[in-house]
Amino acid sequence: MKALAYYIKLYFLIVAQYIKIRMQYRADFIISTIGMVALNITGFLTIWVIFKSIPDLAGWSYEELLFMYGFSLLALTPMQIFFDNIWSLWIHVLDGTFIKYYFRPLNMLFYFVSEVFDIKGLNQLIIAITIIVFASIKLAIKWTFVKVALFIALFFSSSLIMISLMILAASSAFWTLNSFAVLNLVFKFKDFSRYPLTIFNSFFKFLFTFIIPIGFIAYYPLQLFLKPDQASILIFFSPIAGILLFVLAGFVWKIGVESYTGTGS
Amino acid sequence: MKKYLIIIKNGLMMRMARRVNFIFTFIGNLFYVVLVYFLWKAIYGNTTTTLNGMTFNQAFIYIGVASTIFILFQTYPDWYLSFKIRSGDIVMDLLKPLDVQIQVWAYSMGGSLSKLITTTLPCLIVIFGIFRASLSFGLNIPFFIISVVIAASLSYVFDFIIGITSFYTESIWGISVTKEALVLFLSGAIVPISFFPQNIQVVLRYLPFQAIYNIPLTILTSDTMGIVHYLSALLVQVGWLVVLVIISRLYYRKALGQLTINGG
Repeated sequence: MKALAYYIKLYFLIVAQYIKIRMQYRADFIISTIGMVALNITGFLTIWVIFKSIPDLAGWSYEELLFMYGFSLLALTPMQIFFDNIWSLWIHVLDGTFIKYYFRPLNMLFYFVSEVFDIKGLNQLIIAITIIVFASIKLAIKWTFVKVALFIALFFSSSLIMISLMILAASSAFWTLNSFAVLNLVFKFKDFSRYPLTIFNSFFKFLFTFIIPIGFIAYYPLQLFLKPDQASILIFFSPIAGILLFVLAGFVWKIGVESYTGTGS
Repeated sequence: MKKYLIIIKNGLMMRMARRVNFIFTFIGNLFYVVLVYFLWKAIYGNTTTTLNGMTFNQAFIYIGVASTIFILFQTYPDWYLSFKIRSGDIVMDLLKPLDVQIQVWAYSMGGSLSKLITTTLPCLIVIFGIFRASLSFGLNIPFFIISVVIAASLSYVFDFIIGITSFYTESIWGISVTKEALVLFLSGAIVPISFFPQNIQVVLRYLPFQAIYNIPLTILTSDTMGIVHYLSALLVQVGWLVVLVIISRLYYRKALGQLTINGG
């Protein structure tokens, strides 16, 4: 526990420094924030427009799909805010600067990702929560203590899914030159997490459940949350899916880190 | 001798890396087309009815081909121009006898041509061959091709304007992402314009964005258009192209003035 407290305190120190520097680029921050807001809002508007023409999508109503969109957006926010530096792993690996992370008595993954704190991701947090609150009012969800606890647990494990997938994708930098292309591709999968898996045929349902488990970002957890009577066995894996994937990601990262010998040689 | 071998090896690896990049772009687009297929299938609910005047088949082709064209146009002239301005390389380009805007246009064209072969055509084969989308082949095809070429130029000019704007704001990612999100949504590339509420549709049809995606895609998928309709649609596109080129020239000249004042 002492180590955990130490890391949390350290994180605040590192991030505070970083924010101070970033805030000097005011215009860039504001415009980047606008960019992210535009992206998130068009996601919401897309659903809004579609439901002007149909009553429900694969058995999910407008409010339920909104809830799903908000929840997936929320689950993606920790990755956006805390792990943004993962996008630049391949750059550090290629030009040799990655070596500096070996020399401190710190967990390397923590050290690496703590260097960037994506402040503009906070707007995504606000938008996601707003959408969820709006949808839950429309759905008349009764927020009992159990429901709130379940929601938090599901959010925690769902956010681990995308974080883990991105760590896995970024770790390809240790072995290939095309890490950015891999990152880009994996990042695109988040778009699939906004819709119920029931729209897909059995092949893709299998793919997005067991191989690239983005179904566990929103669909399965929300089935547990919104439609518990339609429960399939899989939804009970929702809380642990994220943790398992994170362990796998950490393992692959460790192998990559140990195999890295710097440039040249 | 070893030095030269290393250079050769590097050149080969860079070539292979670029090739793999193309494959990843293609795979990414493929997954998106898969999503489009199943999402719109669910929207239509496995029936053969029409929604807002479009059948599932038309909607799928519309949105699926939209994503493919998007990649075709995505040559990042805005980033290219932004870097040139920031690094000062723009000075060298200004000294060359060729107009900078035409240079950027040529750069984009080159990028699009390579994407045409590596991503667009394979994706079209997937849409029509594997997903078995059916399309009536007639005059819509040649007009579609012409329309896409005009639309590409429109897209480049738009990106050129964005690129110049980034010079003023010192920020490229935010503007580029905002532009992308707005253009794609308002042009009908994510949801066909016919799906928007009527009063919003009216506004969208007067915006230049729909000339980039909605016009070529409607030409391709509509079965009620005659030659007159095709020609008037192309005319609208060309009209917007002229307007935007004029705006971009004026804007560019203004920015250039500021650049030389500051840069010296």
